[in-house]
Amino acid sequence: MRHSVNRPPTPDAAEDQEKEPTLQEIINIKLIESGEKERLMELLRERLTECGWKDEMKALCRAFIKKKGRNNVSVDDLVHVITPKGRASVPDSVKAELLQRIRTFLNSAAL
Amino acid sequence: MDLSAVKPRCSVPKPCNHLADYKLKYGLTGYDSLQDKFVTGPNGKTTVCTADKKIPRCFFCDGYRERLYLCLICSSVSCLDHTLLDTRSDCGHDIAVDINRSELYCGRCRDQVYDPDFDTAVVSKYKKDLIVHSNAFESIGERSSKRRRLSSAIDLDLKKWKELPCIRDQRAKSCYPIGLRGLNNLGNTCFMNSVLQALLHVPPLRNYFLSGRHNRGTCQKRSLDRFCLLCDIDIIFSAMFSGDRSPYSPAQFLYSWWQHSANLASYEQQDAHEFFISLLDGIHEKENKLRDTNNDAADCPCIAHRVFSGLLRSDVTCLTCGFTSTTYDPFMDISLHLDPSHCFSTETTNKGSKLNGSTSVSTSTLIGCLDLFTKPEKLGSDQKLHCQNCQQRQDSSKQLSIGRLPLALCLQVKRFEHSLVRKTSRKIDWHLQFPFSLDMSPYLSSSIIRKRLGNRILRFDGDETDVSADYEIFAVVTHSGMLESGHYVTYLRLKNQWYRCDDAWITEVDEATVRASQCYMVFYVQKMLYHKANDEIGCAPSSSRRDSLLSVVGCC
Repeated sequence: MRHSVNRPPTPDAAEDQEKEPTLQEIINIKLIESGEKERLMELLRERLTECGWKDEMKALCRAFIKKKGRNNVSVDDLVHVITPKGRASVPDSVKAELLQRIRTFLNSAAL
Repeated sequence: MDLSAVKPRCSVPKPCNHLADYKLKYGLTGYDSLQDKFVTGPNGKTTVCTADKKIPRCFFCDGYRERLYLCLICSSVSCLDHTLLDTRSDCGHDIAVDINRSELYCGRCRDQVYDPDFDTAVVSKYKKDLIVHSNAFESIGERSSKRRRLSSAIDLDLKKWKELPCIRDQRAKSCYPIGLRGLNNLGNTCFMNSVLQALLHVPPLRNYFLSGRHNRGTCQKRSLDRFCLLCDIDIIFSAMFSGDRSPYSPAQFLYSWWQHSANLASYEQQDAHEFFISLLDGIHEKENKLRDTNNDAADCPCIAHRVFSGLLRSDVTCLTCGFTSTTYDPFMDISLHLDPSHCFSTETTNKGSKLNGSTSVSTSTLIGCLDLFTKPEKLGSDQKLHCQNCQQRQDSSKQLSIGRLPLALCLQVKRFEHSLVRKTSRKIDWHLQFPFSLDMSPYLSSSIIRKRLGNRILRFDGDETDVSADYEIFAVVTHSGMLESGHYVTYLRLKNQWYRCDDAWITEVDEATVRASQCYMVFYVQKMLYHKANDEIGCAPSSSRRDSLLSVVGCC
């Protein structure tokens, strides 16, 4: 293995573990450091609540718990079941708005 | 106070074995050591902040995008996939904290776990920084005033009332409950009649006057004024509950009230809510005069306050640092803006962001209005408040909640809109759905604060566990017509039968009629008082459908 012996192999070696941070990582770090990520998260929460996405996810969780039985469900299970559905049902307008915000941020951060 | 009989506001899930073992071994030391690192943001979310500004990453895979967990024992950070590695490598490292959400997680159970002690630790720093302003409400005196309030509720319980016979009017074809009697309209006084009908049947208020708490004899001797609002109210009670079914003319009371509210003294149409407030105010003033006291609203022993007064809590949060300042203010009723939810669907479908694409028009509900009332509201940029923490003016958000519930709750729906810009007033005619049984617990400060802080398990200061939050409706004042020329009608619920009180005309109606009416003021009373009151009324309405119209006619 090319990588450092101290690091155990990742289960799904999909990404290249290069020592240099990728562009994605740099952007993410910049977002976090400037506090913009937190603001974007807040905005996202607001939008997703407004359009009813949160309520729909809640309903899906309830249905799943009802089916499996309250004592047979863990948070992990819920996250695994809900995540794909959640990602797929984010409205396009919300995605567009957030992308626009990130673009604006990147322009101002002059990366 | 028997705590075992109290219903807990939230149930505490049992800890898993691993959490129990951890607590046995380490107690609260792990939680306490984290306390300084908890930072609660303006949105109520608490994160664990490390001293250095570096982004937390998983020890094993260097990942930073997934949920990250901080082991309570060795403080190593791992993502979900690798929490097990930490658990296996060092035995007993089962419990960890979600860094972004400050929630406990058990690596071995692979599930979230809950511990009230942990939530207390999370919130303790937040609570320490809270500044509480009390407007006539001392936290030290809180316990004694609570006890006083409890005993006053029992006090208002009738004693002498039971001795009064159940008077059955032989003339009436049907046996209506006692106290049901029409009120003659003395010239656009339906605003007064409607409110009086509601007040006549507020159980604690009714019991107070019917058990002779305001002694007219001694009052007339002591008082220097010719007019005593309380005496006149007492006269009305005696007349309405005398068993006489012919409509009563509250002329003396009207004149007496005019003395008190000179600005409203006319034969013009008035607002029922304004009358209600001015009447309660008159009672308060008069009782204070009689007792020669000057009481603050929160501890006032006058009957108006004892029945209707509650406490409203207002939290103002700085949107930059999360610092919150709290104020308590007493209230006699709650005025609610109409929740425009039935307009909502049309707005969003245009933008295409409404998820399920349904264009169903939903009705506004009273619950929706209450939700709106307790929703955090971002104050405008022109209303920036000075934050003590940031030492400058910042954008803030305000959230209202109920600090203490009254015995009887009056909810007014703001149907009359006055626009200063357009210099016009209009009436909002939307239909509002209102429940017959109302649970106010989601609007209590304890529930609102608990929810804002991420559903923490908390023993909240001033937890309303001794006062029930379940209410039953007993009166609705409705308005029909236009702003300038309308008519007030009250619906009363006595022994689960609804009656329509339209000035002098009393009729039995069914539930559907009441539900379809346009409510303006909705009166609720605590459930146990409502059921007790039903037992006290005595005569059971046993009229057949043919006799549903009471055979009296009044002049109007």
